[in-house]
Formats: sequence, structure tokens, C-alpha cells
Amino acid sequence: MHSTLVRAQTAFGFFTTVAFCVAALIALSGFVSPQTPSADIKLRNVQVVRGRPNYYSTKKEEYAHIKFDLDTDLSTLFTWNTKQVFLYITATYPSLKPSEPPSSAIIWDAILASPSAPWHQNQYEAPGTPDTRKSDPEAQKAIAAPGILHLQNQRPKYQITDYTGKVANRSDVVLELGWNVQPWVGALTWRGWSDWGVWKGLKGGRTERFGFPGVKERVKVQKEDLGTAKGGEGNRGKPA
Amino acid sequence: MADAFLESARDVLEGQIDFEGQRLAELLSTAMLATAGFLSFVVGYMTQNIQLTLWIGLIGAALTLLAVVPPWPSFNKNPIDWLPPQQGVSQLNIEVDGKKVR
Repeated sequence: MHSTLVRAQTAFGFFTTVAFCVAALIALSGFVSPQTPSADIKLRNVQVVRGRPNYYSTKKEEYAHIKFDLDTDLSTLFTWNTKQVFLYITATYPSLKPSEPPSSAIIWDAILASPSAPWHQNQYEAPGTPDTRKSDPEAQKAIAAPGILHLQNQRPKYQITDYTGKVANRSDVVLELGWNVQPWVGALTWRGWSDWGVWKGLKGGRTERFGFPGVKERVKVQKEDLGTAKGGEGNRGKPA
Repeated sequence: MADAFLESARDVLEGQIDFEGQRLAELLSTAMLATAGFLSFVVGYMTQNIQLTLWIGLIGAALTLLAVVPPWPSFNKNPIDWLPPQQGVSQLNIEVDGKKVR
């Protein structure tokens, strides 16, 4: 501590130690905050159509188009250390061969931002929320209770298929809600079905088993029934 | 003239403080940084606002550096009384290769 340089180095070195310890405390503080997530997810409509993976492809594949209702209360996932929650719905169905693991594909997802996160265009805005792009304090307050969603007859963001290219007439499909909590400091955590400490497992969040129907003939399908989520929501999460 | 200027510039840049001042600086930096870290966590957790934690921590660290790094006069209140330089050396006869150096 005899000269300016040595004092600067010593003080800054101890600052990094303090910063690390505070960060560790913040990361651990999430594990003592109770979580009681609940969700209700219902199948609304499912159709299977033939299509191409991209505009130039000559390959035809079958795509399942699943509409759903979703009601969630995930407000307990948002603690002071939560930056955002990546919410997604997977459709899971067993493979044709018993030796192979089941297929699982995401049909819809959303980035639920915590109130402490700055606005970003990829964040999800539930229908009816005011425009938070303008840094209007009133509008910011309106999203002070994140994680509560009520979606009716929601279009999927993604039509799904698998490597076989055939998904028609598959049975035992289940829609499941999943999420990934992304904190400001600390480890990522995922949706759990069973209790873990003061964190309760997800209540509900799973549909009854259902089957994919046969392929719909092109002429009979109404085009507007097969659209994925459009506009801002459809583009969210995709790089510009 | 230039030598005197360089000498004073080096004194300012080195910013030396006495032994008591070093003890005080060490204590200050440890206590202030630990307090800032503790306060930042407690206040942030109470208000559930992690930005407050960040800013209290950063401002606390900046204040600590400001308080400790410059050679404030209070770190130089106990200068050491060095012994006066001894004149004995100049009386010696030192010869190198038969030539008298001093």
C-alpha cells in the first residue's frame, strides 16, 4: 500500500472478490424463493397437411398444425434475479419403433421479459398489453405482473414434422408446457414436474393424449386455418 | 531546474505514504468494500431491485478507490525520522587501480 499503483491494484483486487461473493449470494437467493407455477393447456384443433420444407424444395413432407388454448400463472418465476423466461410448448409423440426415443418438437414459444429487463423486440407481448416501446412509465407498470397468460385458439409459431416426413395418423401425442428461467446472475433452470425444495413442480401444463388426423386434401383446407402466428409475434425470436 | 521538476513529478505519481497511512489505507479499503457489498445485497434484496444492487456496489467501489488511491495528507501524518546521512564515508581513501577515487 506504499504507492498509488499498489493501492489501486489492491483495492480493485478486493473489489472483484466482493463482487463475486455478492453475485454468488444473488444466485443462491433464488433457491429460497418459493415457486408455485400452474398452467392449463388445451388442444383446440390439429390438422395435417402436405407441404415443402422450403420454397425451392421438391420434397413433400407432412406437417402437423396444432392450435391450442393456454392459461398460465408463472408469476412466481419472476424474482428480483429473473431476467427473462423462455416459454415453449412441445408436442411429444412416441416413435414407430419401440427402441427409439419419442419425438419432441416445439410448436410455439415466447420470451417473457421481467419488468427489470429493458425492452427488446423479441420479447413477447400478450394480446392486449399496451405498447411498451415508448418508454412510457404507465405502460411499463402495466407489465409489472409478468407470467400470466390467457391465450385463446392460439396459432402455432411452427408447423412440425420429423425426419421421416410422415406425421399423419400418429397417436399418443401430448402437448407440454416447458420453460427456461434465465437469471441476471446464476444458473439457468428448467421446468420441473416434481417438487424441489420450496419450488413446487408445474401443476397442469399437459394435455390429454390425442392423435394426429390423416392428411387433409389440399382443396378442402382453408388457407387461413393453417397460418402460423403472424405479425410481430410470428417474427419474434427470429433474427431480422 | 529540470531535475527538480522531474523529482517532484515522480513524487506526485508515486504517491508514497507513511507506514501508519498504509495500515489505514488497507483497513479503509477492506472495510468500505465489504460494507458496500453487504449493503448492495441487502438493499437490493429488500427492494427486489437488482439494478440497485449493481449501482450501490459500483458507487461504493468508486468511493473506496477515491478514498484510498490518492496520497491524501491524512496518510502522511506520521513521517519517519530517518537518521541523518553519515559523513564518515567521505573520509575513506578509496583507490582503484592506483588512482585515488575519493
